[in-house]
Amino acid sequence: MVDIGTLVDSKQGLINPLIYTDPALYQLELDRVFGRSWLFLAHESQLPNRGSFVQTYMGEDPVLVVRQRDASVKAFLNQCRHRGMRICRADAGTNKTFTCSYHGWAYDLEGNLINVPLEERAYHNQIDKSQWGATKVPRVQSYKGFYFGTWSDEVPEFEEYLGEMKYYFDAAVDRWDNGLEFVKGATKWVIDCNWKFAAEQFTSDMYHAPISHASAMVALFEDPAMRSLFDPSPHDQGRQFAGHGHGTGSMGIPEFGPDILAGPEYSAWQIANRDQVYNRLGTDRAHKIMIHNNIFPNFSWLGTASTMRVWHPRGPGQIEVWAWTYVPKDAPESARKGVREVTQRTFSPAGVFETDDGENWTEIQQVMRGWKARSTLFNAQMGLGFEQRDYPGMPGMSNDLYSEMGARGFYQRWQDLMKNLSWKEIAELDAQRRAAEQEVQPA
Amino acid sequence: MSTAVDQAVEAGPSTFRPTSMELQHRVEKFFSAEAELLDDHRYTDWVQLFTEDVHYWLPTRMTRTIRERDQEVAAAGENALIDDDLTALRGRVRRVTSGIQWSEEPPSRTRRLITNVRIDERGDGELDVRSNFCIYRSRLERHQDWFVGERFDLLRPAEGAYPYRIASRKVVFEQTTILAPSISIFF
Repeated sequence: MVDIGTLVDSKQGLINPLIYTDPALYQLELDRVFGRSWLFLAHESQLPNRGSFVQTYMGEDPVLVVRQRDASVKAFLNQCRHRGMRICRADAGTNKTFTCSYHGWAYDLEGNLINVPLEERAYHNQIDKSQWGATKVPRVQSYKGFYFGTWSDEVPEFEEYLGEMKYYFDAAVDRWDNGLEFVKGATKWVIDCNWKFAAEQFTSDMYHAPISHASAMVALFEDPAMRSLFDPSPHDQGRQFAGHGHGTGSMGIPEFGPDILAGPEYSAWQIANRDQVYNRLGTDRAHKIMIHNNIFPNFSWLGTASTMRVWHPRGPGQIEVWAWTYVPKDAPESARKGVREVTQRTFSPAGVFETDDGENWTEIQQVMRGWKARSTLFNAQMGLGFEQRDYPGMPGMSNDLYSEMGARGFYQRWQDLMKNLSWKEIAELDAQRRAAEQEVQPA
Repeated sequence: MSTAVDQAVEAGPSTFRPTSMELQHRVEKFFSAEAELLDDHRYTDWVQLFTEDVHYWLPTRMTRTIRERDQEVAAAGENALIDDDLTALRGRVRRVTSGIQWSEEPPSRTRRLITNVRIDERGDGELDVRSNFCIYRSRLERHQDWFVGERFDLLRPAEGAYPYRIASRKVVFEQTTILAPSISIFF
């Protein structure tokens, strides 16, 4: 095993590509990163009724997320305790119980084992069913309609885990009085790349957009004059936030309401309801678009298009993308139609932006099959030394929108966890890093 | 004695359609001509086959139990891979012919097989047509994808080089999780 301490140098902005390819490191990631972080499970709108369930994954582990009779949400491993068969094989639905189709062990909505066929004859009434329930996700946290879960008993509470990212996450999830909902159904697809390319990009990378996505604006606008709408400008005041492994890139807008991409009906609805946003978020946040965002390790969303997604790891060289479209719960169909359509048109496997991302990541992964390619360090030095704490309107550490501070923070947190530091040790390290900040670039 | 399983299998309308040879022939030749435009990368010509009011739609799909199978394919207003009007479809064509769409530059090589063409005539001359497709895509050095599914088209008779315009197209894949890094080709 390689020395994890040498794989990433976040102070110098250097990445050893082995972190994207090595099978042994990947197995450690499932345990130390995915096993010890808060992972997105479901949004409340996916679980409308008692007994509503979705199957999702925590890393590679299939879990059932289920609305209980008391309206709470619980999650458990989708694995029968008898021989490990998948208990439920639908992606979503409504159930009263979950019965394994191998030998018939049956579980209730909490995952408790409630029935074993031939209990008297085959088990001589000696099986203690209370000991053989499905493995429960011990901590499930609801945050403004979003359910996150973790296997870890030592990771801090979810809000503490978010740190200053709460300010940026709230800009999306706490924007409207009645919150958000997901358009029914997920889009799922497979990309042959390491999960960190996708997660890092949504944490930190605005830099690729004008080049990788050059053709997207051609699709969206017939008028060539409109295509420079999102080009980098010295006047846009765009900033990048990074902290606790999370990251956001934001850009200023003159007023909240008009949304050229989602169209006139949605714009009119936003303008009619914009007091909600100004009241809940304040003018500073209302006048920003949080363009790209990632909560460590693998939950991402955009503020430009209304997509939220999880990058599920599938081996060192593959991911499954699970993407949803989010809309304000109160927006009528005439308004939300524009959001839905432009989101699917831009960010989905057929999206006029998204198709280009998959192309990049699969090509990188292919190139790294070469031993020389795999041992050539990558440059993540953009904006190194230009970090600023608590820049106006940007709680936490921020940098220019075009920087890789977010990537360096993401890999630093990855390395902390991969070294198997406890969350207590990580908190102490974070405090030391913060104390050392004065030595870094002052404003 | 009939069982619950027997009762679940209800008789539906016959799937045998007594279509005239001439109509069947014309629709199949139209689909072959359309496929040729796409396989030859003639996107600007292809997009002209659609009517101004076209809905070009590729809903998502998920695994559901038999009991909830009516929710397997996403309905209107639910999640879709593509949910386009003609303006959006033309935008995609502008993009793929721009030379800077990196997911199709260099371009994929595709071969489309369109089969099992089933025609229901509407009273007004428009046709509801179901067809199966099997599309092979080869990309760059060794990447390959298969896209397999069914199309539900509404064909409207037209003047000119092509006998129909496509007034509506719904494309349903068999895959729920798409085993391709991108859907940068047309169906």
